[in-house]
Amino acid sequence: MPLEKKKTRADALYILHRVAILLACAAVFYPGFNPGRITTQISRYTSLLTSCVSYHALVGNLGRVLSKGIVQAGTFYLLMGASIMMVVGIILAAVGGCMSVGNNLMRRKGLRYPLIGSMLMAGGLVGIRVAYTQIVAADSNRVPPNVSMGFYLFIVLTALILLTSLALSMRKQDEPLEEKLGMQEEYHLFLLFLPFLALAFVFSYLPLWGWRYAFFDYTAGGTLSAENFVGFKWFTYLFRNAATRRDLFRVLRNTLAMSSLGIITSWLPMLFAILLTQVNSRRFRRIVQTFTTVPNFLGWVIVYAVALAIFSTDGFINSFLNNFLHIDAHTNYLMSNSHMWIKMLLWGLWKGLGWSAIIYISSISGIDPALYEAATMDGAGRFRKIWNVTIPQLMPTFFVLLLMSIAGILSNGLDQYLVFSNAINQNAIEVLDLYVYNLGIGSGQIPMSTVVGMAKSIISVVLLFGANQASKALRGESII
Amino acid sequence: MSDKAKKMTKVRHTSTGPRYKSSVGDKVFMTLNITFFVVFTFLCIFPFYYLFINTISDNDLVNRGVITLLPKGIHIKNYLALQNVSDFGNSVLITVSRTILGTALMVIASGFAGYLTTKRKMWHRSMWYRLLVITMYFNAGLVPWYLNMLGLGLTDNYWGYIIPGIVAPYNIILVKTYIESIPAELEESATIDGATNIQVFTKIILPLSKPILATIAVFGAVGNWNSFQDSLILMANSPNLYTLQHRLYVYLNSSSNLANVMQSGGQVTAAMLNTKVIQYTISMVTIIPIMLVYPFMQRYFEEGIMLGAVKG
Repeated sequence: MPLEKKKTRADALYILHRVAILLACAAVFYPGFNPGRITTQISRYTSLLTSCVSYHALVGNLGRVLSKGIVQAGTFYLLMGASIMMVVGIILAAVGGCMSVGNNLMRRKGLRYPLIGSMLMAGGLVGIRVAYTQIVAADSNRVPPNVSMGFYLFIVLTALILLTSLALSMRKQDEPLEEKLGMQEEYHLFLLFLPFLALAFVFSYLPLWGWRYAFFDYTAGGTLSAENFVGFKWFTYLFRNAATRRDLFRVLRNTLAMSSLGIITSWLPMLFAILLTQVNSRRFRRIVQTFTTVPNFLGWVIVYAVALAIFSTDGFINSFLNNFLHIDAHTNYLMSNSHMWIKMLLWGLWKGLGWSAIIYISSISGIDPALYEAATMDGAGRFRKIWNVTIPQLMPTFFVLLLMSIAGILSNGLDQYLVFSNAINQNAIEVLDLYVYNLGIGSGQIPMSTVVGMAKSIISVVLLFGANQASKALRGESII
Repeated sequence: MSDKAKKMTKVRHTSTGPRYKSSVGDKVFMTLNITFFVVFTFLCIFPFYYLFINTISDNDLVNRGVITLLPKGIHIKNYLALQNVSDFGNSVLITVSRTILGTALMVIASGFAGYLTTKRKMWHRSMWYRLLVITMYFNAGLVPWYLNMLGLGLTDNYWGYIIPGIVAPYNIILVKTYIESIPAELEESATIDGATNIQVFTKIILPLSKPILATIAVFGAVGNWNSFQDSLILMANSPNLYTLQHRLYVYLNSSSNLANVMQSGGQVTAAMLNTKVIQYTISMVTIIPIMLVYPFMQRYFEEGIMLGAVKG
C-alpha cells in the first residue's frame, strides 16, 4: 500500500454526509425514534431494529385487534417489510460512510452505497406511510394512529443522505484516482475502534441524558413535555418536605457511618498480611490464603444465604445451643435492629479481608531483603523490623487505597445492604445506593431518585478529583 | 512455564527473614498469631461446610435442627429434587450461558480494543482512549441507567446481560498495558513482512497476551456467575430470565413462595417440601462451581489484583 501523506481536506459536505449517516445508525436502536410506530398500540419500547427482526414484538399488543379484523395483518407485514427496507438502507449508507474516509478511489466507489441506501430508506418511509393510512382508515378508538417523531427525523436524514451523496458524486473530479482501494492507516484504525467507542458511549455516556428526568414531573410510562417541566422543584422538595428531609439525613448518616467504619478499619488487611508473612510454613500460609480469599468470590446473595444458615431461627447458632448446651434458643439474629453498622462491617471483613490482604502480601514479598539484613545487623528484632522496614514500605500502597476509599465514601454498593435489609432493620441499614433503588425502582419516584443519584455522582467525582489532588500534592503521583 | 514457576515461588516466599531465636515472647506471639489464622480460616470455611452437611443429611433430622457438626443419614435426593423446582433449571441455563457468552465476548473485545489503543497512529487516539477511561470514574446513577436500558429495549431481554458487558474499560486498560510491555520489534517485523493489523493481532499479539486474557477471563466469569443486580433491576418482569443468584434471592426471601412452587411441581413428597433444605441446596449449587474452580484459578486472581495495583 503506497503511503499517503496528503492530508484529507476538511470538507463540509463530507462531514454533513457522515453525520447524517451516523445519526441514522444511532436512531435505529432507539424506540423513541422508531418511524414505524404508526399506532400507539405498538409498544413504546419497540425500536426500528426490533420491528424489523421480530414480528412478534411488533404486534405484541395487537392480537385482539388483528383477530377481530379491525386491521388487516397485511398492514403489519407491510410495516415490517418497510422497516427491513429501511434498516438495509441504513446499513448500506453506513458502509458508504466508512468508505468515505478512504482514498479517492474508495470514496468515489463508496458513494454508490449511500445513494442506493437512501433510496431504500425513502421506499421504507413510503411503505410506513401507506401502512399508516390503512391504520387511519380503521377504527381510531381501537388503534389510535400515531406519527412518531422518528418519522420526521428519518425524512430529514434520508433527504440529507440522498442529497449529499448526489452532490458528492456530481462534484467535478479534481484529484487523480488511485490504482487500488486503500485507506490511511489512522482512519482504518479508528474505524476498527469505532464499535467499541459506540458501545461505551451508549452504555456510559447516554445515561447522562436521563438526568433530564430530574427536571420534570414524570411518572413511569408518562412523557416529558413542556407542561410537566418543573425546573428545580425536586431539588428544593428534598429539603423542604419534612419527611424526605428526615429520610435523607437518616440515609446519609447510615452511609457516612458505615463508610467511615470501613475507612477506620482499612489498615486491617495490612495487619493481616504482615502477621501472615511472619508464619514460616509456606504450606500454612498457602492454605490460609486460599480459604480466606474464597468468600470474596461469592456474591452477596450467597453471603446472605450463609447468614441465614448460621443466624436464623433454625440456623447453626440455635442448633448448637439446643443440641450441645441444652439451652432452648429460638432467636432470629437477623431480625434485629441493633448494631447494624458493626454487623455490616463484620460481614464485609468476613468476605473481603483475606482478599484485600493479597495486595499487601505481594508488596511485602517485593521488599528488598537487604533492608531486613541491614536491620538485623543493627540488632532489630521481629517487631522493630515490622515497624521500621515493612510498614514504611507498605505505606504508599496503603495511602492510595485509603484515598480511593475516601473518594468512594458515598458508594457503599447496593447488593450487601439490599440482601440484608428487612422490615426491622431498614432504618439502620438503608444507605444512599439502597435509598435510590427503593425510591426509583421500588416506588417509581423517578425524578426524586434521579436527583439523589445525580447529587451522589457529582459529589463522588469531586471527591475523587480532590483525592487525586491530595495525592499529587503529598506524593507527587496521581491515583487515577 | 519455568518463568512462571519462578515468579510464583517468589510470591510464595513471603517470610520476612531468617527464623528468629525462640525467646518466650516470640513463642507466645507465634502461637497467638497461628491461632488467629486458624480461627479466621475456620470461620471462612465452616459456614459452607454447615450448609453442605445440611443438604446431604436426612431431611427430617435437618428439620428438627439436629444436624450441627456432622452429617447423618447421607443422601443426595435434595440435589435431584431441584429439577422439580420450577424455573430453577432455567436460571442455571441463563447463568451458565451468560457466563460463557458474556465472558468470551468481553475477552475478545478487550483484547482487540486493548490492542487498538496501543496504536499511536489512530486518528485522535488519546482523546478516544481518555473518553473510555473516564467512564470508570463516574456513572449517571441507577435510575438513569435503568431508563437508558429501557429505552434501548434491553430490559426483559437476554441481551441486556451480554451487550453492556462487552466493553469493559478497566480490562481494556489492563490489556493495553500488557501489550505495551511486549517488545515492539515483534510487531514491526511482521508489519514489514506485509501483515495487516488484524493479522498482527491474531498471529502475534493474541498468543503473547494469553496470561492477561486468562486473568480478565476468570474475573469476568466470576462476575457473570455472581451477577445479581442487573437481573434484579432489568429482568423484574421476566422470571424465566432470572440468574441463579436472583433466583436464590427470591427463594431466600419467600419460603412460602417456594413451597407453592414445589407443590405445583407435582410428585413432591412431604420431605421435599422442606424449604430450608431446598434453600441450602440451591446455595450449594451456586457455590460449588466456584469452590471447585477457585484453587486452579487462584494464581490468575492474584496476578489480576497485582496488575490493578501496578496500573493504579
